[in-house]
Order: sequence, then structure tokens, then C-alpha cells
Amino acid sequence: MLGDIITPDLFASALRMATPLALAAIGGTICERSGVVNIALEGIMLTGAFAGAAVTLATGNPWVGVLAAVLAGVAIAAVHAFASINLRADQVVSGTGINIFALGLTGFLMERLYGHPGTTDPVKMIRPLISLPKTPEGLFGEVLRWLEVIFLSHTPIVYAAVLIAVVAQWALYRTRWGLRLRSLGEHPKAADTVGISVYRGRWAAVLMSGALAGLAGANLVIEQVGSFTENMTNGRGFIALAANIFGRWTPAGSYLASLLFGFADALQIKLQMLRGQIDIPPQFFLMLPYVLTVIVLAGVIGRAVAPAAVGQPYEKG
Amino acid sequence: MSESHEALPEQRAWMTLLQKAGAPVVSVLIAIGIGSLIMWISGYDAGAAFAALFKGSLGSPKAFGDTLLRATPLMFTGLAVAYGFRAGLFNIGAEGQLFMGGLAAAYLGVRLGGLSPAVALPAVLVAAMAAGAAWAFVPALLKARIGAHEVITTMMFTYIGKYIVSWLVVGPLKAPGQIPQTEMIGASAQLPRIQSLFSDAALQSLPILKLGRGHMGIFVALLFAVVVWLILKYTTLGYENRAVGFNPWAAENAGISVPSTIVKSLCISGALAGLAGAVEVMGVHHRIFDQFSPGFGFTGIAVALVAKNHPLGVIPAALLFGAMSAGSGTMQLEADVPQKIVLIIQALVIFLIAAESVVQWFIQKRQKEALARAR
Repeated sequence: MLGDIITPDLFASALRMATPLALAAIGGTICERSGVVNIALEGIMLTGAFAGAAVTLATGNPWVGVLAAVLAGVAIAAVHAFASINLRADQVVSGTGINIFALGLTGFLMERLYGHPGTTDPVKMIRPLISLPKTPEGLFGEVLRWLEVIFLSHTPIVYAAVLIAVVAQWALYRTRWGLRLRSLGEHPKAADTVGISVYRGRWAAVLMSGALAGLAGANLVIEQVGSFTENMTNGRGFIALAANIFGRWTPAGSYLASLLFGFADALQIKLQMLRGQIDIPPQFFLMLPYVLTVIVLAGVIGRAVAPAAVGQPYEKG
Repeated sequence: MSESHEALPEQRAWMTLLQKAGAPVVSVLIAIGIGSLIMWISGYDAGAAFAALFKGSLGSPKAFGDTLLRATPLMFTGLAVAYGFRAGLFNIGAEGQLFMGGLAAAYLGVRLGGLSPAVALPAVLVAAMAAGAAWAFVPALLKARIGAHEVITTMMFTYIGKYIVSWLVVGPLKAPGQIPQTEMIGASAQLPRIQSLFSDAALQSLPILKLGRGHMGIFVALLFAVVVWLILKYTTLGYENRAVGFNPWAAENAGISVPSTIVKSLCISGALAGLAGAVEVMGVHHRIFDQFSPGFGFTGIAVALVAKNHPLGVIPAALLFGAMSAGSGTMQLEADVPQKIVLIIQALVIFLIAAESVVQWFIQKRQKEALARAR
């Protein structure tokens, strides 16, 4: 029974499920470090997913789809940046507007382009990078097989997410750019005084978060599911925000926190597949990531400190 | 605004009015404009779409009844979101509290259906309020105690609540038959249709009373709008709510407990959202099922913002979005425009009101033009 659940596939699936969360969470980290709250991650991810599906269907090339998803994410993020930075809007409310807009627009375009609501035709997917080599018999071979499945069975964006986490961590904490970006989120007035452009820095951060959340959408559609369904992000943008908080506003922390949520998702799917053996309604498994998110937030806050100026519009003095 | 002292007195009066009530109205107009543009770019006939939207929402007494039907839960979710906003809290999860309120109403409605309506109706409504408040309680506590952001937690509770309902309607509370839904609630727990108040003769002579599916819940909603207004304006509870929303530090200094106000505010907000679920169950569906709300909780955000978080402003705002919701079906049928355009317009309204300065800029430009003409 436990052997049916604890398989190498479970951990590989956790890594896959963590990927869209991690990409969006790292985007959220960069954005919030610059002082802008990005509640709109959910909507950006959904828009990216739709753009990825639509362009892949139109061109037959999933890589063009990935590019389109990233660009769509940047475009929506630009709206958020303009509202939050230039118009000094209430960032949480305008972000909510963007989320609902994304839900409406993707649904609207879905019916316009394909004539029906719901799910698109299957798109051409990006396959795993390598096909797994055969492992020898015996214990050593078994260990080797586990490692292969867990670490080598993935699609490119899954690996890209790990790389992005490492690079973002380094860039935020080991480069002058990162120091400047963080200063915008802690004390924008001081940053402005020493000649750092608050607007430009925040714009760059919000656009980056858009690109990452768009990429998250591409991963979902083009590498994981293989089609677009309305509202398919299903709260992942909000869970990503929680992962960012649990990861204490650091890219590496965001990635690790996403792994936890990804594991919950993987476990949930695995348990659903074993429904015949476990007499628990599937809805309880589906709830798991959301319940875990609340538990994690309940346990972590107070010990994690948000950037001091996050959510506050900056007015050039 | 700097121009206003140069204006003539009568101009100044209408300008202040425009500035106070204007931003939401202008936001709605701009949103409809952008919505039309999106339709036009997509190759739809926006004129035909709005004509159909009007026909389906205000074109006949029956259509107006549908508008009332849709406006009823929106008044409650609008009040819910507005009440939270007044304390500086963003209850984005009204949808989840609505589901729990609906669940309580569906459960008790079956069990209390045999009692007299005078007992059953209030009992079911109170139970729905309690369920909605309970669903907001954990996010409220987490916010008050450790500052966990209510936007994330209430959102998570929305997903959890929807899964609980979706489990119950296929599992323990499923009515006999193929369809995943609960049993029908008893007649005495149902909110009657407005037209059932009138005799057949009256309906024959005054066809305007034939409000179709519009039900008595609208009067409950109007009552609650007034009650919430009175609470905010005249009670200590409401005063504390507003004080914390206005400036939590000052409120704390004045001896108001911010954590306890946060808990009360979110729970009252949840109770109001719970009522939205209750009126849907008691007045429309008479049972609960998986998809019984088309996102009334989220539309409540737009309603509250257009109302500028004023409980009485919620009434016209809910009627506006209720009309859009009621007419969207006719629009899809007759003008072949996807209903989703209504969601897009709602989202634009939320966005534009959040980014109020763009609307203010628009209004000020208009004022300058008016002034230039007046000179």
C-alpha cells in the first residue's frame, strides 16, 4: 500500500508540480522585493497558459508557444506595473481586477477562436529532454532507476526553473543590481536620494515577474497538461504568493517552498489514482494543497518579514 | 481640483458631486467603452450586444425580475466586501463564505421545511450567516494574530469550501437520482416570488407586476443594506470598524483593539456573504449543487468598489451588475457575443477604480474643458 504511494514517480511528479508554482513564486519574490505586491500572478499565469496554447495550436511549434506565453505575461504585467507604479493604484485591488480580467479575456477569446467554452484541442507538447537509459538489475540498478526517474525524466522548463532559482538568488544577493532592487522595496526614498530610479527598477521587476508567471503558464499547458482549460491555474498564483512568503521573500526559499506544495499536489494526484484502495472522497485530496497553504501561512508569518515598503506606491519627491 | 476655486458657485456644486460619485460612474462608462472596443476588434456587433443586454435585463417586467434575481446575492456580497474594506480588509473570499452559507441553508431548509415560514425563514437565514462567519473566522484569526494576508487565506478557504460542497452533493447530502445535488428544501424555507404576492386579477390588469423569477430576497437584501449602513454610521461596532480602516495605529492609540476589530469585521463580512448563498438557495435553486454560484462573491468586489464601500451605494451598484449578469444570457443568444465580455467589463471596473487617478485625470480634463467653455 505504502509502496504504491512512495514511488520514484511521486517525487518526479512533485518536481513537475512545483515548477509553475516556483516560477510564479520567484516572480512574486522579485516583484515584492522591489516594493510591488503582485496579486495578479494568477491571472498572468492563466493568460500565459492561454497564449501558449493558442500560439502552439496556430503554429504547431511549442517553443513559439512558450515565447508567446512569456510575452503575454510581460504584457499583462505591464498593465499591473503602470497601475501600481505610475498611477499609484491600490495594488491588491488592481491586481484582483487583472485576475478577473484574465479569466474573462481567456474565456472570451476561447469562444471567439474555437467556438466553444471549456478546453482547447490538444497542443503539441514539449517532451522530456532525454529518454531514460536502461538500468541494470539488482539493488544498485533500483537506486539508479529512482534517481533517473526523479531527476532525469523532466521537460526543459522544469530544469530551467531550478536554474532560474539559482540565478535569481545570486542576482538578488550577490550583485549590485540585486542590492539596488531590494533597496526599492525597503526604503525607496533612500534609493531615490542616492540616484536609483524607483520607477525604472520597479518596472523591470514587475515585467520580470510577468515573464516568469507567463513561463509558468507555458509549463502548465505545453509540458504538463497538453491543452488549455478555462481557469486551469486554479489558485496556483495565490499558492505561489504563499510559497514566496514561506520562502521568506528569497528565490531559493520560494523554490523550496514550492517543492513542498508541489509534493502535496503530487501526493493528492497519486492518492486519487489509488481510489479503489482508499475509501476517502477525492475532494479531500483536491483540498490538500489549499489546506497546506493555510497551515504553512499560519505557521510561518510573524517569523518572516516582508520588505518594508511592499505595497506602498512611491511618489517622486 | 486646483481649478475649482475659479468656478462659478453652481458649477462648483455639480463638480463636487461629479468628483464624489463621478469616479465610479466614469469608471463604469470607460469599462463599457473598452468592452465595446474588445467586441469590435473581435468582430462582434457591440451595438447589437448592448441592445440584447438591455432587452434581457430591463426590456420587460420578466427581464427586470431576472435583474432583481441577480442583484439580490450581489447586494449581499457587495455589502460583505464593502464592510471588510471599511476596516481595511480585503475579503476576496466572499465566494467561499457564500458557498458555506448556501450549504447551511440547503441543509437546514430541508430539515426545517415543515415548520411555519415565520420560524423557518429567519432560522435558515441566521444559520447561513453563522456558516459564512465561521468560514471567515480562521482567516480573520490568522490575520489578527499573526498578520497572515487575508487575500491568500480567504482565497484558499474558497477552494476548500467549494470542494466540501462538491463532496457533500455527490456524497452524504446527495438527493436520490442521477444529478449531484441536495434534496429540495421545504416550502416554508423558500423565499416566494414577488409576483406570488399579487392575485391573478392584479397580474392581469397590471402586467408590470409579472416579475418572473424575481423573489422576496431582494427585500431582505435592501433591509440589510440599511442595517449595515446604520451599523457603520451609528454603532460602536461600526465606528471601530471604520476607525481601524482609516488608521489602525490611531485606532489602537484611541483604545480600540485592532485584532478584535479585524476578527469581528471579517466575520460580519463572512456572515453577509453567507446570506448571499442563502438567498440563492432559498429563492432560486431551492437546493445546492456544485456550480450554484457564477462567481457572485467575486462580482461583489466590483459592486463594493463602484459603491465606494457605502452600504447604500451597494444597492444601485448591485442592480447594475445584476442587470449585466441577467442580460448576458440574452446577449449570448441573440447577438452571439460570449457572456464572458461581462466578466471583462467587471474586471475593468475593478481595475479602473483601483487606479482611480486615471479616472480622476479624465474627470479633471472634462472639468477644464467645461470651464474653458464657461469663460
